[in-house]
Amino acid sequence: MAFAALAGCAGHEATQPDPTPPPADGRVGFVRMQELVKVHPLYSQLAHLDEDMQALQLQSVGSNVARNGADIAAAERALQRELDVAADRTKKVLGQKQQEYMKREQAAIDAAIGATAGAGSGGDAIAGNVARDARSQQQNAARLAQANFDAYRRQVADQSNAAARSLQHSLANRASRTYRARAEELAKHEADFALQEETEDASERLSLRTKLSNLALDDDTRADVKKQLDALDRKEADALGALKNRDAETLALLQAHLRTTTQAELLAAVGNLRKRTLAKIDARGIATRQTLVAQLGVPATGNGVAVPNGIPANMRSKLQALHATYQKQFDADASQTIARFQKTRADLTKRFRQIAGIDADAQASANRQLGALAKQRGDLYSEMVAQIGREVKMVAQKRGIDVVVSDVVAPAGGVDLTADAEKDIESLHE
Amino acid sequence: MRSTLTRRLATSFAAVLLGSVALAPATLAADVTDIGYVDQAALSNIASFTNANRQLATFKASLDRQFVHRMHGIRDAGIQARIAQEFQNKLSSRQRELFGPLLQRAQVAIASVASSKNLSVVMDKRIVIVGGQDVTANVIDLLNGPGDPIPPVNTPPPSSVGYVDQTQIDAIPKLKAANDDFQKFQAGQQSDAQTKLKGAKNDADRQAVLKDYQAALADKQKQEIQPLVDQTRDAIAGVARKRGLLLVIDRSNLIYGGTDITSDVTTALK
Repeated sequence: MAFAALAGCAGHEATQPDPTPPPADGRVGFVRMQELVKVHPLYSQLAHLDEDMQALQLQSVGSNVARNGADIAAAERALQRELDVAADRTKKVLGQKQQEYMKREQAAIDAAIGATAGAGSGGDAIAGNVARDARSQQQNAARLAQANFDAYRRQVADQSNAAARSLQHSLANRASRTYRARAEELAKHEADFALQEETEDASERLSLRTKLSNLALDDDTRADVKKQLDALDRKEADALGALKNRDAETLALLQAHLRTTTQAELLAAVGNLRKRTLAKIDARGIATRQTLVAQLGVPATGNGVAVPNGIPANMRSKLQALHATYQKQFDADASQTIARFQKTRADLTKRFRQIAGIDADAQASANRQLGALAKQRGDLYSEMVAQIGREVKMVAQKRGIDVVVSDVVAPAGGVDLTADAEKDIESLHE
Repeated sequence: MRSTLTRRLATSFAAVLLGSVALAPATLAADVTDIGYVDQAALSNIASFTNANRQLATFKASLDRQFVHRMHGIRDAGIQARIAQEFQNKLSSRQRELFGPLLQRAQVAIASVASSKNLSVVMDKRIVIVGGQDVTANVIDLLNGPGDPIPPVNTPPPSSVGYVDQTQIDAIPKLKAANDDFQKFQAGQQSDAQTKLKGAKNDADRQAVLKDYQAALADKQKQEIQPLVDQTRDAIAGVARKRGLLLVIDRSNLIYGGTDITSDVTTALK
């Protein structure tokens, strides 16, 4: 806080008239620019930009503050809880769906066997009894096997997810190192290039400057030599500018390339990981079913649905087709549930990253937005001050003032032109 | 970067010249033809400054990358602040190294031109709206010419334009205490506003938080800062009248000459 600066902007004359008039000098005046800016027609836009910037700064600082200390741990715990709840919900829904499809398939199998038995050997009752007996024995065994199998599947899936996360981290680090190394290399090259350019032109520049120092030089020749010096500066600046543009382009391309290749590599690796995980789970599924068959002497469908032994080949293939249909329907239904969970997980992962400050893109975007607003504000302010300057010039001419200064700390003996200029600027609103 | 450089130019020129400025007598020549100004933005465009700027930009880019690397994974606010300060110091040191000699040379060139044109004061172009002598081109010619500019033999003549060093005035205990108190209040309000912003559900809520924040600051400023501002302004005006000055400007807007009344003002305020 600068008290003297505030004093200059405080509009003292209007609030506390000075009892002893200052020594008059009609040739030096001053204006209080802050007050004139406030009456300019574009002031509302400027104030709006100031508010936008202040809001953005507050929010930006706020998110940084949230990244520190206990806040971050609490936020991470909350997100982890959300993720756990989503995972539990998904597992529960998938279990319910599995039971539902098993029931439907079992009903369809019972109906198919009943129809065949009724048509071929004398009644639904015999087939129904066979199926019921088999079902009551087999379902108990199947339930136990399913529970073991589910536990195994969870364990393998957790291992796979941990491996995927570790891989993602390692790939991102590698890409970041590559980018940094290239950026540093280019920056060094730019510095070397600038130095080389300067060295190459040094003798010519010295010669031109020596010419300029010649007092006997006529105006035309002096102007010409100045032009040559300017051209030399421009040439160097243009060459360096072009190099910097190329380097920026190179870095942008490299960044895009790294993003694409890292993404592709991650997808491929995660795909392989998932394949291996699924293969492990399938192998365990097959082993579980085989164990069930060995224990109970009955084949079971993939969902643990019981099928009696000793049924004809055509009926078996019909049941297998039925099973394939139900399995397909279940897979389609389950994949929707899994997709919803994956979306939730992706959203939560993104929020994890934001909290941990890894989401540099978001921060950079806020900075860019602030920069753009600051530039817009600077341009608008310059435009307003230039227009105010023109009005002040006219006021000064009318009142015979030779020099007018803004931002004075104390007026002393100068002439205050603020009120006159205010009137002129306010007339711009009309 | 340019505005920072410009501020530094102004501050450095004024700082170095401060010691050489003689106290003006009570009666001053009220001749406005002795007021000059320099476009510091134009000065910062000359080759030696642009080269220095380029070197500083390269250094800063490298420093920024190192900074990001160092900050990676650090969540403790204290450690973050310490690292940020360390990097800021490195940048400032490099800036001084690159610009120090250039600013010294520019300051001598401005003094030389001002002396040859009998100017009692040279200000920053940004605050001169009408009149005054533009000496930018002369200074640039001197700086671009061979050899070092020759410093003037005489000190600047007495000037009807006075200046105060705000940093010294701000350091007066009662002003500093008020300023510190305001800063604390502002930090507290900012923290509250940030907490509320996190809980804001829509734009209207956010606008309301921002308005409350601004209103709280304005109230505090009106109650505790404004009386001191008025007192400071009155003290400056009083000293200026006693010494027959036409205007008093801030030191950051002064490049050469002028009459330093900081000491008189601080005495009046104590």
